[in-house]
Amino acid sequence: MSQDKNASNLPASWLWGAVALGALGVLGSYAAAGPERFWANWVFWFVLLFTLGLGSLFIVALEHLVNAKWSVPIRRIPERLATLLIPSIPVGLIALGAIPVLYPGARPEAAHHPLLAGKAFWLSLPFFSARTIVALALCLLGLWVLVGGSLKQDATKDPAFNFRARKFAPAFMAIFALVVTLVAFDWISGLTPEWYSDIFGVYVFAGAFLSGLAATALAVLHLQDQGRLEGVRGDHLYNLGGFLFAFTVFWSYIGFAQYMLMWYANLPDEVIWYKVRLQGAWHLITLVLAGLHFVLPFFALVTRDSKKDPRRLRRVAYLMLGAHVLDIYWLIFPILGASPRFSWPELSFALFFLGGILLWVRGAMQKGEDMPVGDPFLREGLEFRL
Amino acid sequence: MPETSYAVLGVFETPDALMKAIPQVRAAKLGAVEAYTPYAIHGIEEALGLRKSPLGGMVLVMGILGAITAFGFQYWISAVDYPIITGGKGAGSWEAFIPIMFEVTVLFATFTAGLGMLFLLNKLPFFGHPVLSSKSIKGITRDRYVLALEAESEAFDSTAAARALQAAGAIEVEALPAPDRSPFLTSDYVLRTLGGIFTACVVAGMAMYFATKWFPVLAPMKYMQEQPRLNAQKASSFFKDGHGMQLPVAGTVARGYLPTATGTQEEAASLVNPLPRTPEVFALGKKVYTNRCEVCHGAVGNGVGSLTAAYGAKPANLQAQQFLDYPDGKIYWAIVNGKNAMPSHAPYLSERERWAVVDYVRALQRAQNAKDEDLKVATR
Ligand code: HEC
Repeated sequence: MSQDKNASNLPASWLWGAVALGALGVLGSYAAAGPERFWANWVFWFVLLFTLGLGSLFIVALEHLVNAKWSVPIRRIPERLATLLIPSIPVGLIALGAIPVLYPGARPEAAHHPLLAGKAFWLSLPFFSARTIVALALCLLGLWVLVGGSLKQDATKDPAFNFRARKFAPAFMAIFALVVTLVAFDWISGLTPEWYSDIFGVYVFAGAFLSGLAATALAVLHLQDQGRLEGVRGDHLYNLGGFLFAFTVFWSYIGFAQYMLMWYANLPDEVIWYKVRLQGAWHLITLVLAGLHFVLPFFALVTRDSKKDPRRLRRVAYLMLGAHVLDIYWLIFPILGASPRFSWPELSFALFFLGGILLWVRGAMQKGEDMPVGDPFLREGLEFRL
Repeated sequence: MPETSYAVLGVFETPDALMKAIPQVRAAKLGAVEAYTPYAIHGIEEALGLRKSPLGGMVLVMGILGAITAFGFQYWISAVDYPIITGGKGAGSWEAFIPIMFEVTVLFATFTAGLGMLFLLNKLPFFGHPVLSSKSIKGITRDRYVLALEAESEAFDSTAAARALQAAGAIEVEALPAPDRSPFLTSDYVLRTLGGIFTACVVAGMAMYFATKWFPVLAPMKYMQEQPRLNAQKASSFFKDGHGMQLPVAGTVARGYLPTATGTQEEAASLVNPLPRTPEVFALGKKVYTNRCEVCHGAVGNGVGSLTAAYGAKPANLQAQQFLDYPDGKIYWAIVNGKNAMPSHAPYLSERERWAVVDYVRALQRAQNAKDEDLKVATR
């Protein structure tokens, strides 16, 4: 079945090699580069893995919520990507080890800090861990109902699943909002607990949804290269591209709105977060992020044809994934200091996690049907025309 | 057929029949091919070979133009024409411009999309499309699918067109004669429209003029006037004494406004102007004079200012011999304390400004009574 046309289909042995090599570097970095750097990397990859999985699950839930038909033929792809939430559970549980090291709010000194004393209970290690566990468990619930149910429908062909999913989707949206906000507040803005921004959860949501969309588009195009997903046409790609286009603008809108209000008010505890990111090398990274996450994809996707054209869409999807990685890097790594860290520890983590993610996704892509064959709306979805 | 035709319509029973006929009819190359259907049919644009609409490109260009316009406008206002620092941000801070740039981009883009579609591409306004007066129009709005071969030139052969449509499977054909009068915009129509708009403007303008003339106090919205604020010369319940305007706190003096020349004008005669006679001082004096004194004393100090006619008292002619002989100190005293109908300027002018305007009055006097040496100095 797999007529490996694409050069990026690395052999599995390479991926296992990358994971093994990366694992060595990961362990070595704890000893050689210190726990702070190690945990910053770990949290970084936890957030990436989690946003990718959750963003994909959101696409699935969105389809059920609005009763969309066009996306039924490609729904299996975000469903498979959403299973990344399963490995994110052990990764997240290990990440709890970062709390005493990286998160000032969980240290005993926080009780005496004038700004943190009031939030001390919320930021404390036990409550922080409990929230994370609850968030992961809620994701698992969503995965079980939406993805598990859909997989079962392949065999049973029972339309009852569609009704169940449609009822569950609104509830899941509430769960999703809660989980994204908790993870964004706890794991990212918790690194600088004096700083807070109400919109931050929405900002992280925008990035998560985009990364899910980009990964979905890439996987769809990949499977099409292998002659799979027959019947998925430019019209379907157009909608994926349209979503990508719309949400790059949404991400920029939220990101800029957050920045502008803080810049205007100029309150010391708020602007400090941006001051760090607008000085020295971080300033350059901020500009690059704006270029890669907004300007480039905006103009790349602005015409109608570019959203249908597999080659352009693929390039933009790679770009968006890269931009999402840079975005999370930009959110987390400034805590390590004024100069951005990137050398062998980061590379080792990248090898380890990227290899692992690719192995997982590939495994998922080989299992079962490529389309939800039991869904009564599949035909209608295949007939979708713009 | 004798008269010129607008088009020949061929009626088809199903969308499939229509789609099948399109390539055949297009291949005959008898005229422009257009389809009229009760609902959108997928793939028909490609089949008809319609060009991609230029609207997207227009919208993009206008959107970018909107962003540039909004940026340029704000930058020019707040950094070039009248640089102003608000909230401690530098003049021309781009961050503050973004929301308005965003709005104007959207405004330009949507207006281009809407108006461009209606007027440029759909050629509105017109008085009714010829096809609307065809016999087939009833079917088009219900269950018939119509292909039109539209005349592109004088040489259009409607019989050949009808035959081609029949050959392609049309169950009925209808020749549409060209309307006797163009349904599209003609210069005569444009002129009448412009005339109408002009008349409406004149009427509305006159109505506005007389309305505001006869009912000057009719203000539809007075929110700006009716603020809970302190008004000059008005009572206010905010302060205990019931006055809106308050005296300075007893025993205090604002910076730069130490009371001077408190004695009589004669006593002030011995005061010496402490300022050096530099171009800056004269520039300051000129500014103060134009802002504060010119309305009464006139541009050259001859006592004829723009207010003189309306003002009961006659401002002093500072060019009179009496004032040419005045020592600086007595002019200074008049500025600080006022004299008869002339109000005191002490609250408005700092020490430096008062002396600077004295110098300027001296300069005015000398300019009006210039001697030969002065000319030499001036032209040197
Ligand atoms: C509201 C009109 C008004 C304004 C403004 C005004 N003056 Fe006068 N000024 C007068 C009048 C009226 C007199 C004549 C007063 C009198 O002697 O009855 C006068 C008199 C004078 C005199 C002669 C005083 C004297 O000793 O007889 C001087 C000098 C003078 N003004 C300078 C100034 C200067 C300098 C300014 C600007 C800072 C100024 N005035 C602004 C109305 C004005």
